[in-house]
Formats: sequence, C-alpha cells, structure tokens
Amino acid sequence: MKCPRETQESAEVLLAYGACKLDAESTAALEKHMAVCPTCRESARGLRAAWEALDAFEAPPVSPDFDRRLYRRIEREVSWWDLLLRPFRWFPVRQGLPIAAAAGVMVFAGVMLYRPAVPPAPQQDAAQAQVDALRPEQVEDALDDMEMLREFSHLMRPDAGEAKKM
Amino acid sequence: MGGAAVALDYDAELMLRVKEGDSASFGVLLEKHRLPVVHFLYRMVQNRAVAEELAQEVFLRVYRSRATYEPAAKFTTWLFRIATHLALNSLRDGKNERSQERLDDDSSAMPARQVSDARPSIEETLVSQARRDEVRRAIAALPEKQRAAVLMHKYQEMEYTQIARVLSCSESAVKSLLFRAYESLRARLAHMA
Repeated sequence: MKCPRETQESAEVLLAYGACKLDAESTAALEKHMAVCPTCRESARGLRAAWEALDAFEAPPVSPDFDRRLYRRIEREVSWWDLLLRPFRWFPVRQGLPIAAAAGVMVFAGVMLYRPAVPPAPQQDAAQAQVDALRPEQVEDALDDMEMLREFSHLMRPDAGEAKKM
Repeated sequence: MGGAAVALDYDAELMLRVKEGDSASFGVLLEKHRLPVVHFLYRMVQNRAVAEELAQEVFLRVYRSRATYEPAAKFTTWLFRIATHLALNSLRDGKNERSQERLDDDSSAMPARQVSDARPSIEETLVSQARRDEVRRAIAALPEKQRAAVLMHKYQEMEYTQIARVLSCSESAVKSLLFRAYESLRARLAHMA
C-alpha cells in the first residue's frame, strides 16, 4: 500500500480508520502499511484515540418542560397573528365580499359619471385670448419704442463710431 | 427537486403533512429530533440553558417555515443547517460568554445514568468528570466550523456529503476541516486513550 499521507485521500483513509468506519480490506492494508510507517501509525492511532475520547462528552438530558415551553411560544405567535387580524374579524367575509364589491362598483360608476359643467380652459387658450385683446395702436407704439431703444444702444457703444470711420 | 427521482425521507413526508395543517406530525418530528438537536447545540455552545433556548428557536423556525417548506434536501440536513446557523450566530454574538464559567454547574447537573449502575466510587466519578471536562475544553478550543463538523460527524454520524450541505461547503472542504479538527483533538486527547 502506498503511504496515505502521500496521496489525496490520506485524510479520508485515516479519518475513516480513526472512526472505525474503514472497510475490512482497507483496514488490513492500512495496518500492514502502519507496521512499516511510524508517521501513519502515530497519526491513525492518535485519531482513533481522539475519536474514542470524545465518547466521554455526554450531553445532559433535555428539560422535561421543553415541549411545553415550545408549544407555548408557538401558541403565543399564533395569538399575535390573531391579534393582528382581530380588527378585521368583525366583518364577516361571506357578507363582506358582496358589500365590498357593491361599494367598489358604486365608486367606479361615480368616477365615470362625474363630468364637470365647465371644463377648465387650457393655458394655451388663455395666452391666445390675451393677444387677441391687444389693440393695433398699442402694438405699433411698442414696436416704435423698441426701435428707438435699439438705435440708442447702438450709438452709445464707443467702438461703433470707430468702426464706421474705418 | 431536479429530475432525479429522490425518495422523500419520512421526516420530509411528516413536514409536508405539517404544511397541510397536521400539527400532530410536528409533534412526531419534535419527539424524534428534540434530543439530537439539543445535544448538538449543547456541545456547540456548552451551556445547557442557551442550548435549549436555541433548540426552541430551531423548532419554532421549522414550524414557522411549514407553509413554504419544500423537500429540497434531507429533512435533517435542513434542521441541522438551522441549528448550526443559530449556534454559530450565538457564539459570535457572545451570548454564551459565561459558558466556560458554567461548565462546573453543568457538570453537576449531568445525570449519573452512565455510571449509576456500577455505583462508582468518588474517585472514579471525579476521574470521569475530569475526562469529560477535558474533552469539552478540547472541543471548545476548536474553531467554530471545525467544531460543528466534528459534532455532526462523531455524534450525529452524518456522512461527509450531508455535513457539506449543512455547512454549505464542498465535500473535500469538509474532509479537510475534519482532518484538521481531529488532528487538534489528537494532540490534546491522545493521552486519554
């Protein structure tokens, strides 16, 4: 047998031997190898010793009221759920469903039938109405003022005259 | 559960019955798994009160999950995944910081059932207690994941594949974890053989 420590399955073979879970054929082969390999012998026997030593770690028994405490917690959770749903309990489901459906239909019908007497005028129409309300004289005056301002600002620019000279 | 026809284990069938509203099946599951779960948690956190509290939480979560339960894995894999998750969280939160202080208290609370028949002498009882405490300390000294792997391997007799599923790692990673854990235990406990 090839030394298990030199192979990939070393951990598995030695662990299985330590846990007394190695099949008879592999155990015989390993024990034959252990006779000539002190490293494997020490490792395998140490693992077996550790495995057997773990038997000493007994756990205490479970408290007699374990189940009672658990069921009480489950019950408490269920009652919380009940408590949350309680406000809706007064409304019996069988009677409530048709009533809720009828209420829904009425609301929908109300929304569909509601038509305001005077629909609100769009904003664009309001702007158009303002333009229509202007008199032609007002427009002409405004345009004259704008022309005068344009000429005035042109004359006030110092480089305007220089540019003309050149 | 994939295309492969995997027979449902009995526990999964019981859990499906719980899902359908059969609370008696939950009682059967509790009866069957109460002891392994509490013992696993006790060995993990090494405090009886904390272990029982965590075990209650495990079964409470199982009950809460009944509506959404799908038998995607073995029931015990799912159960121990919950238990391991809670134990690791508890250890990380330091909820059982005083566990080491309580070791003596817990030891005194241990039943005498394993030695009562032979009526051991005081000396034998003390030796037995000392051995148990030494093993407990050796296990407590292991890193948490190694500890969980060893406990499942040694006391629950789980296969590598199942431990891998519980710990959400590969099978080879489990073998490596276990080998390192047993090597550490060997160093501490070999003299007890």
